[in-house]
Amino acid sequence: MKWMPLAATAALLTMLTVPQAFADKLDDIIASGVLRCAIVLDFPPMGSRDASNNPIGFDVDTCNDLAAALGVTPEYVETPFPDRIPALVSGRADVGVASTSDTLERAKTIGFSIPYFAFEMVVLTKDGLGIESYESLKGKKTGSVSGTYEAIALEKDVTAWADPAGSFQAYQTQADVFLALAQGQIEATVVTSTVAGATIASGNFDGFMMGGKAPYEIDYVSLIGLRGEYGLINYLNLFVNHQIRNGRYEELYKKWVGEGEPPNLMIPGVYY
Amino acid sequence: MIDTALSANDIWFLVQGAGWTLLITAIAIVAGTLLGILFGVARATLPGWSTLPLGFLLDIFRSVPLLIQLVLANSFIPILGIRATPFAVSCLVLALYTSAYCAEIVRGGVLSVPLTTRRAARSLGLTWWQDMKEIVYPMALRVMLPSWIGLTLGVMKDTALVGWIGVIELLKSSQILITRMANEPLFILCIAGLIYFLISFPISRLGARLEQRWRDND
Repeated sequence: MKWMPLAATAALLTMLTVPQAFADKLDDIIASGVLRCAIVLDFPPMGSRDASNNPIGFDVDTCNDLAAALGVTPEYVETPFPDRIPALVSGRADVGVASTSDTLERAKTIGFSIPYFAFEMVVLTKDGLGIESYESLKGKKTGSVSGTYEAIALEKDVTAWADPAGSFQAYQTQADVFLALAQGQIEATVVTSTVAGATIASGNFDGFMMGGKAPYEIDYVSLIGLRGEYGLINYLNLFVNHQIRNGRYEELYKKWVGEGEPPNLMIPGVYY
Repeated sequence: MIDTALSANDIWFLVQGAGWTLLITAIAIVAGTLLGILFGVARATLPGWSTLPLGFLLDIFRSVPLLIQLVLANSFIPILGIRATPFAVSCLVLALYTSAYCAEIVRGGVLSVPLTTRRAARSLGLTWWQDMKEIVYPMALRVMLPSWIGLTLGVMKDTALVGWIGVIELLKSSQILITRMANEPLFILCIAGLIYFLISFPISRLGARLEQRWRDND
């Protein structure tokens, strides 16, 4: 039984190991004729569902573009935020087009392309709670989506403030966070400015408002693939480069986020 | 009239989800019951030591939470290099899970037939097969039916867990709607709950009627 040690190792390391790649993933995708994208669909405007409950958004269009470039059919594998990396590692998806922040910690497990989008973080709260800036979150009940960039940063600050009245609660999905905020289980959350804008504009929640910018570093997000699949990652890098070169990046930004300058994906003063 | 953003389209989306719930339940119950009968009869009639490994395996399926079984199977099956849809994984896991419970029901049913009755049957010249078919089956069926109906209803509701691995069944489709219309989760969940009820109620009534009819014949 050749697979026994493999399965046992994977079990022990809770699916953090990458199985030995015998064939190039890029070839596999082209040969199978299907590109399976891990996509988060409760993260408007990057991924959500339209009135007929079909997937739409910046990430969905990006997946379609990538599939078209490869000459294959796109297939969306809906993953909650915490399931993006497990979906890739266990082989349920080929690439992640899921607004994944390129943290060094995650890079130990998966491979990142160059950034394909960037977010600024803002505080989202309800009016009448007296939250006007990031600093006023001290001593407040906060929450965010488990495992995301902003959740990690927010939890770190809440712990550092060590205010007994303050708390941090992790939720499984973005929808759960909004519901908790609407019902008063938490008083504020930190989300990307795009999500905050889309949520307030949706009019689904009374009294939701922005509470100022969060002083985090700009959150660059990348496409993800298996760590050892250099062929695929090289292809993803060139794909992102082409998206910006041929104006598709700006087009998608206008379509999903709105007018204005799309975020600059260059980090000044450094080679990637 | 209730003020809601829910459209006829969305209700249809929920009904489609309910269709998947029913399909997965049907596959899991049919496959699980067939396997369960096999395992249960083996556990009841073969010598104890020979079915210990089987009993141990079935114990695992009964004791590990179904959600964990689903997540692990959904990850390990692709790691083994087999391309399986979440739907196929769900059917497989639920069928095995059902068979583990059904095996115990069948074992209990077979053992409930007094050994003296079965010996009497064999003394009259019935073969093992005839004994099983004409004596054990009718008597055990009456003992097993209530638990089996309970199992069916349980499995039907357990299918809600397969939404976690990406099958858009009833609960998952309601979750998708809640994500889009996050301000009315309770209304959407009430509708989903009502659909679950509309599916389960006829099954439980059917079970009660069968029980009633067989009791009259006794």
